[in-house]
Amino acid sequence: MTGKPARTEGTTRRRFLATVAASGCAMLARPGVLLADGRFVIPDAEGFLVVDTKKCQGCGSCMMACSLAHSGAASYTKSRIQIVQDSFGDWPDDLFIAQCRQCRNAPCVEVCPTGANHVDTEHGNVRRVDPELCIGCRMCIQACPFTPARLQWDQGQRKSQKCDLCVDTPYLDAKGGPGGVQACVRVCPVRAISFTREMPSQDLADSSYQVNLRDWVWKRLGMTTK
Amino acid sequence: MTLYGYAGKILRLDLTARRAIEIDTAKYRSWGGGHGLGSALFWEFCPDKTITDGRHPANVIVVAASPLNGTLAPSAGRCEVVGVGLNTYPVHWYTRSGFGGRFGTMLRHAGFDAIVIEGRASSPVWVDIRNRKVAFRDASGLWGTDTETAQERIRELVGAPRDLRTGWWNLNESAEEALDPATDQGRTTQKPAILTIGPAGENQTCGGGLVHDAGNIAAVAGFGGVWGAKNLKAISVIGTGEIAVADPTALLRARTATQEKYISDITQPDFASWTKLGKPPKVMAMVPPPNDEFRPQACQGCVSGCRARYAIGYGHETKCQVTSWYFAPARRVARSGAELVEINLRAADAAQRQGLNTYFAITGLHWLEHLVEEGVLGPGRKIPSALPWDRFGTLEFAEKLVHALSCREDIGADLAEGWVQAAHKWGREEDLRTGHMAFSYWGQPEHGYDPRAEVEWGYGSILGDRDICEHCFNIIFTNITSAFAFAQPMRIQAQELVGIIAEKLSPYAKNRPEALDFGDESMYSENVAQLVRWHRHYTRFYKQSALYCDLRWPDFYNTNTPDNRGATASEDAGEHVFWNAVTGDQLTFDDGIEIGRRIWNLDNAIWTLQGRHRDMVHFAPYIYETRFEKGELFPFYMWPCRDEQGKWVYRDLMGRSLDRQKFEEFKTSFYRLEGWDVESGWPTRRTLEGLDLAEVAAALEAAGRLGKERSS
Repeated sequence: MTGKPARTEGTTRRRFLATVAASGCAMLARPGVLLADGRFVIPDAEGFLVVDTKKCQGCGSCMMACSLAHSGAASYTKSRIQIVQDSFGDWPDDLFIAQCRQCRNAPCVEVCPTGANHVDTEHGNVRRVDPELCIGCRMCIQACPFTPARLQWDQGQRKSQKCDLCVDTPYLDAKGGPGGVQACVRVCPVRAISFTREMPSQDLADSSYQVNLRDWVWKRLGMTTK
Repeated sequence: MTLYGYAGKILRLDLTARRAIEIDTAKYRSWGGGHGLGSALFWEFCPDKTITDGRHPANVIVVAASPLNGTLAPSAGRCEVVGVGLNTYPVHWYTRSGFGGRFGTMLRHAGFDAIVIEGRASSPVWVDIRNRKVAFRDASGLWGTDTETAQERIRELVGAPRDLRTGWWNLNESAEEALDPATDQGRTTQKPAILTIGPAGENQTCGGGLVHDAGNIAAVAGFGGVWGAKNLKAISVIGTGEIAVADPTALLRARTATQEKYISDITQPDFASWTKLGKPPKVMAMVPPPNDEFRPQACQGCVSGCRARYAIGYGHETKCQVTSWYFAPARRVARSGAELVEINLRAADAAQRQGLNTYFAITGLHWLEHLVEEGVLGPGRKIPSALPWDRFGTLEFAEKLVHALSCREDIGADLAEGWVQAAHKWGREEDLRTGHMAFSYWGQPEHGYDPRAEVEWGYGSILGDRDICEHCFNIIFTNITSAFAFAQPMRIQAQELVGIIAEKLSPYAKNRPEALDFGDESMYSENVAQLVRWHRHYTRFYKQSALYCDLRWPDFYNTNTPDNRGATASEDAGEHVFWNAVTGDQLTFDDGIEIGRRIWNLDNAIWTLQGRHRDMVHFAPYIYETRFEKGELFPFYMWPCRDEQGKWVYRDLMGRSLDRQKFEEFKTSFYRLEGWDVESGWPTRRTLEGLDLAEVAAALEAAGRLGKERSS
């Protein structure tokens, strides 16, 4: 395998103290308002990915583009968007797209003990993980209310990761983030993924992020637009 | 040192000892991947390369991925299988097959570039691969199951969730394993990729294929029957690793160029475009979809899905000929278009579940029907058959025929050993002379692209090891014949079309459009021989080793671009551009052709050891003795040719036969150009050493089968 070797060192006392210090700073710097009822309100993200699972052709190009743009390697496991499909299933229940919703209340941000999972105010309030601060506790993955969880565990780095709408994509030769390019959107051959600045409904059902992107072309190709 | 584009290990499975051995990929790096890698591994690990029956325990089967699998290289998601097959005549040649889907990608994520299958298990086994952890499992409970059932059960045994919403599942066998970074196998949302045989393979029939997911089958070589002989039911692979890419930015840029320049804009597509790569996704079924409730479904990394998964619950992922193997008889009994579609898709499913190659049916069903009409085949006839021939065309008959062929029952008992072999056993050799049995090359059925018209298809098949099933140039026929048949616009005129293609035929026929002239005057010419060489070498590397899809590549011409030039060999999105971005190589397009030549020569060395001689290289008699009068789809076969004034026109090539003597002269010309002995067709020392294959030359010399250098 050409993957990066797993890190084997444990958490040293020095590293622990450094992490705690960093966490404190990060917590202080965290944008948001603590309401009287104890809720911590954070600014809304300025961009979202919506998908059409009925349209997706299951080629996995979005997954490859995601991991390549972020880490320079081709990987399903490290893709921030997951296409889950069953060859023997019947349309439309044969395929599911699991993408980060950039939630308004973002439980993954709220639960992070170090501030690694944070709101990036410089990049459209995208919820993202700072790998330098992540201590690999996986609390954000557990806090994600969706199944599959929209955060990934990087087994090599022993850290969490998540969709940042391509803010931090060193291998993408275009500006990412809200207002920029998203690798998965750009590469999808059938345009089953779309970027929007309009926040979808925040109910827990997946349907609010599932949209109909099928148009007259789809109909002309013989497939339903319903 | 990072081996960019490769997982880095090859897995050897010794079935006899039930032992898994890892070897490094680096030693075989010069062969690329896929077929080249497979041939190199076969050469090294097959202890007896004279065997001519794939069921021999010495046979070695290699399942090989490509560095491009799962990397975003457009439409490069296939997987290659090589070894001595079970489906040719008079010799079961060392041969190839391939399949789409996601197996190659997953294999690499599990840490392997290829699997070498050796020996024979004493009882049925399946192989369980999880991130380089390999286990031989008892398959006695799976033996006899169809390919769908086998895959569903293996998924459960591996622990993959049944539904899609369960989420991430853990590949670790214990909590402790997950906590230790050194042993953590990681998590995935994906299902294992499984390659399996059905009853057709278990019963060691020539029609046995290897099936992956619902509708991907490596069919033509009979490798399913080989797995059956080895007592190997299935290989399951799941991985959570990654593949390091040399230049991810260049890779992403080239993919963007592909989509922005060469592919029809999905919001405003040109539905009638002439291109292989740039069409919008469209199900390539030979029957219309049953309704509009389906999705296009694609192999990993494909830019244009060609299969479908339907709401109706059958026909999933099956495409092309498999969806029409039963079309002709079904058309006669179906009472409606809907019933015709259902019969065909269900007949396709029946074959996929049994793991049965359906290519026999292209011309084989016509032959069987001829035998029935002649009164030779049927209940109580000379060739006894209890199949319900009076129900020929119904789904019931299709399912019974599939069962008989898969389980060696009824006429399937004889046909399991090969259709031409059965013809000889039944005393029907004459049918190969009259053309009633249109099995044109190496005992395999003519593909629908008759060698008497589309000569590069026939020449390539007979000079190689099987029906090539390579539609590189065949797209010309498809485009212009369709335009003539349906009065569609001729998007590119003949002169421009051959000029564009010839630009890309580097090095042998670059800017020599006459290589594309298959007219009567030039069909045996050296120019055509150069085109056939280019085709053999291009496909051996780019199509079968880099594993670019046959349906999407090469993209010679493309009406989505302003100058009608396609992506092939281009410097922004050509085949070699993706290869270089992934592997870090600095190949030119021609370098890839040269690697293909090296692979082609190694293959010929293996055929030579198996006993090949140029005297064996000939078509079935009907190709020389009868005229091509009836096309599979159209009553004409259009191709660009030069007219009497030398002007390029589209012309009908139907109505002719091949001239036996002139074809022999063509072979001589081809062998000379290849640097092979023109008297035997064997590779020579000079040619092999020029390709850094001195070891191969030595092996041929030791066997007394090294070609002689002859002065021309």
